[in-house]
Amino acid sequence: MSIDVKMAWRNIWRNPRRTILTICAIAFSSLLLVFMLSFQFGSYETMINTSVKIQSGHLQVQAEDYQDKKTIRLVVPNPAAVGKILEKIPHVQAYTFRGQAFSLVSSKDRTYGAVVTGIDPIREIQVSRLKKLIRQGSFLAESDSDQALVGKLLARNLRLELGDELTLLGQGRDGSIAATVVTVKGIYSSGIDEFDRSAIQIPLKTFQNVYTMDDAVHEVVIIGKSLSDIAEIKHSIELNLSTLDPQKPLKTLDWEELMPGLRQGIEMDLVSGMIFYFLLILVVAFSILNTFLMAIFERTREFGVLMAIGTAPARLTKVLLIESMTMTMIGIFAGILMGSMITLYFQTHGIDFSGASELLSQFGISGRMHPKLSVLSAVSGPLAVFMITFFAALYPALKVRRMRPVEAMRAV
Amino acid sequence: MYLQFAWRNIWRNTRRTTVILVAVIIGIWSMILLGALMRGIAEGMIKNGISTLTGHLQIHHKGYRSDPAIEHSITDPQVVEHALNKVLPSGALWASRVRVNAVASNARHSSGVTMVGIEPSSEANVSFIGAAVYQGRYLTQQDQNGILVGEALLDKFETKIGRKLVLMSQDTKGEIASRAFRILGVFRAEMEATEKQFVFVTRKASQIMLQLDTGISEVSVMLPGKPDNPNAISELKAALPQDQFEVHSWRELLPFQTAYLRILDGFIWIWYLVVFVAMGFGIVNTTLMAVFERIREFGLLKALGMKPWWILREVLTESFLLLVTGMIIGNILAFLSIYILSRIGIDLSAFAAGAEYAGMSRIIYPAIEVKDIIMANGVVMLLGLLVSAYPATKAARFIPVKALAHT
Amino acid sequence: MRMVECIKVNKTYQQGQVNVRALKDVSLSIVTGEFVAIAGPSGSGKTTLLNLIGGLDSVDSGTIVVDGHSFDQMSQSQLADLRLNKVGFVFQAYNLIPVLSAAENVEFVMLLQGLPAKERRQRVKAILDDVGLEGKYDRRPAELSGGQQQRVAVARAIVSNPSIVLADEPTANLDSKTGKGLLQIMKKMNEEKKITFIFSTHDKMVMDYARRLILIRDGRLADDRVKSN
Repeated sequence: MSIDVKMAWRNIWRNPRRTILTICAIAFSSLLLVFMLSFQFGSYETMINTSVKIQSGHLQVQAEDYQDKKTIRLVVPNPAAVGKILEKIPHVQAYTFRGQAFSLVSSKDRTYGAVVTGIDPIREIQVSRLKKLIRQGSFLAESDSDQALVGKLLARNLRLELGDELTLLGQGRDGSIAATVVTVKGIYSSGIDEFDRSAIQIPLKTFQNVYTMDDAVHEVVIIGKSLSDIAEIKHSIELNLSTLDPQKPLKTLDWEELMPGLRQGIEMDLVSGMIFYFLLILVVAFSILNTFLMAIFERTREFGVLMAIGTAPARLTKVLLIESMTMTMIGIFAGILMGSMITLYFQTHGIDFSGASELLSQFGISGRMHPKLSVLSAVSGPLAVFMITFFAALYPALKVRRMRPVEAMRAV
Repeated sequence: MYLQFAWRNIWRNTRRTTVILVAVIIGIWSMILLGALMRGIAEGMIKNGISTLTGHLQIHHKGYRSDPAIEHSITDPQVVEHALNKVLPSGALWASRVRVNAVASNARHSSGVTMVGIEPSSEANVSFIGAAVYQGRYLTQQDQNGILVGEALLDKFETKIGRKLVLMSQDTKGEIASRAFRILGVFRAEMEATEKQFVFVTRKASQIMLQLDTGISEVSVMLPGKPDNPNAISELKAALPQDQFEVHSWRELLPFQTAYLRILDGFIWIWYLVVFVAMGFGIVNTTLMAVFERIREFGLLKALGMKPWWILREVLTESFLLLVTGMIIGNILAFLSIYILSRIGIDLSAFAAGAEYAGMSRIIYPAIEVKDIIMANGVVMLLGLLVSAYPATKAARFIPVKALAHT
Repeated sequence: MRMVECIKVNKTYQQGQVNVRALKDVSLSIVTGEFVAIAGPSGSGKTTLLNLIGGLDSVDSGTIVVDGHSFDQMSQSQLADLRLNKVGFVFQAYNLIPVLSAAENVEFVMLLQGLPAKERRQRVKAILDDVGLEGKYDRRPAELSGGQQQRVAVARAIVSNPSIVLADEPTANLDSKTGKGLLQIMKKMNEEKKITFIFSTHDKMVMDYARRLILIRDGRLADDRVKSN
């Protein structure tokens, strides 16, 4: 061990009480940041997964403008060709086709407007969680034709029970009137009120017949193997799509484009989180700046002697920085360790937020939240703590350079 | 004299005192400012919620809340009108509306909307729509075929002012009624969802279309003064036949915002504590240093016959003065920043879709709540003194001889 | 050979509101191998003169040359270098680095000079034995008596083979017996290693040990005589 490190280490423990308090402050802020960031990231992931797995999927191929207009005429005319492309892309886990049409939906004594979605019963299971959300009755089977799934809130509004008949009335792709009668086979609850209030699922084949779609669909919904593959998948799809019909170009949208509110909501939450954390770290930095300052001013005489016997000021700065950074590192590691342990505990057990379930169900989060520890959430907060404490330590360490030996030695 | 003594002692080490003062100031400032911002977000949400056709309280026919269908309409609005006139304080405003789910369509598009039949003059006093029309014009009593639509809906339907829009809904007989309206005006709202959801026609037009006669769906009331008025609600409940009507406060009508309010207090508390802990370490450390530097002095004082309790009091007084100074400056800075921010607001347009997703207004104005200010200062002062007690008792326990020998 | 040359050195301090003229036109020269005591009452300017000779402080006017190096045009870091290699210091008290052991305190200077570890260790041991601190190598300053601490300080001052050792009232905080022991050690070093020693003191015993006695009063050179013994 070099003499500088040795000196720094022994200096740290000259005043153990002070050192421990300082380390505690650093550890506390690191711990808090690890936990909070993990908590934020965990809830984002839940929000994304809920929305992705219920509504949007990771990616969709649509006709251009369909995302904004949702007009029945804007279709993907040849979904089988898109399917063929997707089969060849390695990171694609599953895909399905959907058709959507806004329609009047009438039960025996009620009428509401709702979005009728045609789904492929077999493929849908691999892409969305819809099957798992069925609370009454059962999911659509391949042989079903005049059966429907209805959201819980819509069922309540329409006063529907399982087996009840439901009249759908809308406009077909060619402008003709589209009408049919279906029976309720299942009622689901996703937790997202907006979705449960306005959606009906029928088999895609039936949908295509009723709405004169021929073989066309509106959305090709794709799930990738993981969130991080999305960009790559999107790129490969786009490359291959251009080889299809150049007259009516198709567009590939990722989940961020499909749900801009979700992405921006996450960004906003992150930014406001940053502001909180920055202020917190600033308070910590000033709290410990005093320790660093004192570590120097009470040793002024000593520095005088060191300089008198020929120590260059740069070396003193180095020793001081080793001192303060050692304290910081101990604090940070303790913080990461404890923060990770606390996070891991809650990651498995969850945190109860049932008091705020009205609020959270809006975002697709149930009453329990699970933070998610990752390298990023464990390291980025403490790294910020490290940088700010480094600047706090730099000021006193550089002040040493301006000391003159004679004055330093005269100081008490 | 005694405070003066403590005050001078604080400033014996200017640099150290300044540094810890800065920590306290930033702490207090961020506590109050961020608390005010969180309150501001909540207030914006609630204000927006209340003005988006909620009001401070609403009266419905029994059963409407759980099943908002046309058969749960108020068939005899006179009864309600009478009760409102009798019970509500002067200055209260109300508007009665027809509100039903409908399907809007034109040649190319159709979509589900909420049709709201309004009394143009009274509605303007109660909800946002009175001031929201930015293109075309607002409704008048005579506009039997006029309709107001939101900007987002206008874009989605690829239509414009003067064009036709057909509304379809179920009438009181259970039949599908439809009626063509002409777009008179376009409104903007805080949330795009509001622009897409609501279309406004005159109450008369909606009543004719739905064969409602004089029936209405709801009465929305704005009270003078504070939005919460439990008395008004209980008196209204008493004045109206219980088996026919239900009265709800905005808190019941806006569960999302109410839930946010409920956890907000918890959030603010946690934030206060976290900031305090961060600066608490600094306070303890600085006070400890100040005490240990003066071991000889305290030893001398004790040798002179000073009681330990006096030394305890001295150290605590010094902490107290430090905290008070930090608080005064921190509060002033916080109020100043809140004042500036409440003038210009924090524009979240860059995150418009995100703000909407989170149910927040596009521009946030901080809001001061006396309770938060008291809490922030109270936390710092109380806990600040509490943590200073540790070095203070240390100082009080110095043994004179040992302390004097200390170098 | 001239080791120290002071020519018309002036130095004024700001003390509070008052200017204190610490040295007035002081000129003197000291040759290699001398054992000189600078005496005078407190406040007479002895310490100032030592600080100036050691390059710890700069003159207002006049010139100081140590071992052939004139301080006139030297930078702070050049002065630090000169102190490291040519000058050794012993101060009144609070002399040692409290977090380093006796051996490490001595070794520190050689570390600064960049000597290899093996040589450092040999010399540390030799010099500490020389000053009578056998077996106390690993004690921290707080675990040593005042006299022992000053011996470590002397060891540290001479371990780097300086041309000159400046000692500012080295015996001021010691009792007379311990002080005498310290002086004997310094004298031995002076004789064996031909290192020039300059003390400031108002201790009669130190003056007796010195071969040359320079007297300063009110910042002026009052007397300068070489004793014959």
